[in-house]
Amino acid sequence: MARRGFKKYMDKRSPSTFKIQITSMVDMFVILLVFLLKSYSTSPVIITPSRDMTLPASSSMKDPVEALKLMVSKTGVFVEDKKIIDLKDGVVDNKDVDPSDTQFIRSLYTELDTQASKTRTIASKNDTVEFDGKVLMQADRELNYETLRKVMYTAMMAGYSDVKIAVLSKE
Amino acid sequence: MLDIIVSIVPMLLMSVAFVHLMVIETPVPQVVEKAIAAANEKNKDQVQILLRVSKTDGFLYTVTDKSGSRDIKVPNKGTDLDLDGLQKETLALKKSYPDVFRLELNPEESVPLDKIVQVMDKIRTTGSNDVKVTFTDVETGKPIETNLVFPDVVFGNVNGG
Repeated sequence: MARRGFKKYMDKRSPSTFKIQITSMVDMFVILLVFLLKSYSTSPVIITPSRDMTLPASSSMKDPVEALKLMVSKTGVFVEDKKIIDLKDGVVDNKDVDPSDTQFIRSLYTELDTQASKTRTIASKNDTVEFDGKVLMQADRELNYETLRKVMYTAMMAGYSDVKIAVLSKE
Repeated sequence: MLDIIVSIVPMLLMSVAFVHLMVIETPVPQVVEKAIAAANEKNKDQVQILLRVSKTDGFLYTVTDKSGSRDIKVPNKGTDLDLDGLQKETLALKKSYPDVFRLELNPEESVPLDKIVQVMDKIRTTGSNDVKVTFTDVETGKPIETNLVFPDVVFGNVNGG
């Protein structure tokens, strides 16, 4: 009974071809395409800034280079996403610094030295890799130079003397 | 066309960068780079420019050359650092020493990174493509115009001091 009713309904309908209206979808895609092309990144190095950190803004137009990633937030110091020491409001605790050298953070030095040794070992077996002492430092904009100085000093002692500061582009 | 767009959109989504990150380095063209290397070698023991940054006292340039040492002060504007005054003094200093590219930056411990980066922006470039500084190319001897002032900024007090 129901089938007969449906057939009757289909027969009554005027013959037409079903068409999808895609004009608005194409419009949307074109807008999306333009937006994505504007924010397309050609940089080979991918850096994901941490959520609890705001980088300083600069007019520098130099793209980041491949280097050891060092992150200094208000809560801690990280090497390649591994937390090395805790910071209290962006200040290094006295227990983390060397008593004889107040600029020297021992646990950070140990980790950086391990990283440097790894790179040197790889470099000794692979000609395409070399240890150039580059370190990319992402640091919170509100951190005082006191903390950054300690981190840079320790990095320098571990052989990472070419410190590059990550910044947000003003453009 | 729709097929092409549908193929391109996922590819672009994969490589999209919502936040553009840069690094502070020395963005120098080759001629400038050679000039920096030559100037650093030549001025190694002759000209030394130091910039102290203090939240309370402002900026203090200490220029040491053959004739001796002199200080140039840029006091704070109100309670904040006078960055425009610093840029003005930096350009004046560059006119006196066009072949010097290295500057030693000595911020006080209480200066935040944000301020240090702003100071570096002011001393590394003229801040405008219309304002240029001239130096002599070491190879051709011809004058070269650039908007780089002191692109070779080093933290002088990291290793003590």
